[in-house]
Amino acid sequence: MIRLKNVTKIYPPDTTALKNVTLYIRAGEFVSIVGQSGTGKTTLIKLIIAEEKPTRGEVIIGDWNITDIRPSEVPILRRQIGVVFQDFKLLPRKTIFENVAFGMEVAGIQQKRIRDIVPQVLKIVGLEKKVDRFPKQISGGEQQRAVIARALVHRPKILVADEPTGNLDSINSQEIINLLLKINEFGTTVVLVTHNREIVNSLRKRVITIDQGTVISDQASGKYIL
Amino acid sequence: MWLFFVRTIKFALQGFFRNIWLSVVTIVILVLTLLSVTTAAGVNVLADKAITSVQEKVDVSVYFKPDVQEKDVLNVQNRLESMGQVKDVIYTSASQALENFKIKHAKDTVILDSINQLDTNPLGATLVVKAQSITDYTVIMSVLDSQEYASLIQDKNYDDNQKVIEHLDSLSNRVQRIGYIVSGVFVIIAILIIFNTIRINIYTHREEIGIMKLVGASNWFVRAPFLVESLLYGLLAVVLSLAILYPLLSVVGPQVNNFFEGYNLDFSQYFSAQFWQIVGWQVLFATALSVISSLIAIGRYLRV
Repeated sequence: MIRLKNVTKIYPPDTTALKNVTLYIRAGEFVSIVGQSGTGKTTLIKLIIAEEKPTRGEVIIGDWNITDIRPSEVPILRRQIGVVFQDFKLLPRKTIFENVAFGMEVAGIQQKRIRDIVPQVLKIVGLEKKVDRFPKQISGGEQQRAVIARALVHRPKILVADEPTGNLDSINSQEIINLLLKINEFGTTVVLVTHNREIVNSLRKRVITIDQGTVISDQASGKYIL
Repeated sequence: MWLFFVRTIKFALQGFFRNIWLSVVTIVILVLTLLSVTTAAGVNVLADKAITSVQEKVDVSVYFKPDVQEKDVLNVQNRLESMGQVKDVIYTSASQALENFKIKHAKDTVILDSINQLDTNPLGATLVVKAQSITDYTVIMSVLDSQEYASLIQDKNYDDNQKVIEHLDSLSNRVQRIGYIVSGVFVIIAILIIFNTIRINIYTHREEIGIMKLVGASNWFVRAPFLVESLLYGLLAVVLSLAILYPLLSVVGPQVNNFFEGYNLDFSQYFSAQFWQIVGWQVLFATALSVISSLIAIGRYLRV
């Protein structure tokens, strides 16, 4: 599903974020990518959603080699990958319903289908009673659930979550992780980037550890080892 | 395509109303800009019109000797009328001149008695010459000053008018130049203000633009609502500026007309006649300015 071949990313003038990284994530897997701050985890996510291009190596999503993806193709790729960010990235001038609907609107989906699906997804994440609120009118945990709803709404094959619990307390964090596990059970490949030891250890799923831009460990049912 | 269009309009209206204060500020600045540019252009037009009206008042009278035959005067008239520089020549015959003189001095019995005692008409025919432009009088005068007509012409009042004509000419050039400079400065200031306002507006949305791109929005899906929003600013600003400008004109217009009484200048009527042209220019100016500013400003944040 996601394949990185000898990927190196250097930010000018000479900051190496990733060094010769090779990894393969199969369809339907739940993978945690762990490591301390500044080790290249977020760069990895940026390469997967084509926010950055590798300096060397190849990035392949499904059958699509996105190493040299054209700018006009980037939106098409992003509509196939759900992304959840630490800082939520909800549109402040849109209600929760509109934020979730936006994920479908960019893909040109008909209004009737949006009206059918969005309430269902919002129900799954437990926000069915907050549809008309604006992001600043709900809690951090609720905002993150809205982001997950937006990421899910066009049924992506891959869901990438970059520190989704970074701004949340432990109860909200656990709820978000449970939601990600549920999504994974439906067959979506989940890539969770985190440095939350407790969460990683409780998951008992595959753990890839990155340190100073290189993969130092890849365990099928791993623990946080740093 | 239809869905894209509908969503663009929907997002533009959402953006407009949910950021109502930012929209109001942008529109107010656009209105002020339009008012200043239109006022500068209006003053320019007014000055130009005023000078043209005064110029229209200028003419040169050519007085023929009393014994000159009518056919000779008419020959001169024909010659003058064939010149490109001449706009109009009015012929007044010797008898008509005498009649006019008598009407003019109807209350002065001494003058009337003296005239009646004369056996012959002491007045000659007159040609009143109007040039196309104030600078053309020199060419016309050079023709009238030629040897050919020296025996026919008794007097011309060009010398009296010459100073006024030259002064008017230089004044008209100066007013035109100052008008262009003032309008130019206003336009440049206007462009800078609007450009900055729209940039600030878009800057506050930079995060939003980034998020839209990360969720998979194409550049046009992001750009189009902002452009429609800018278009809306422009159109509303035009409507508001006209709503301020025309009532103001109906107040100022009569005063200006009074000031130029006797001249061929109707300020209010001029602006009423030019209404659609002014609307057209304002729409073009306001929308082009806001849309171009938006395009440039958004472009900076689309590279996500």
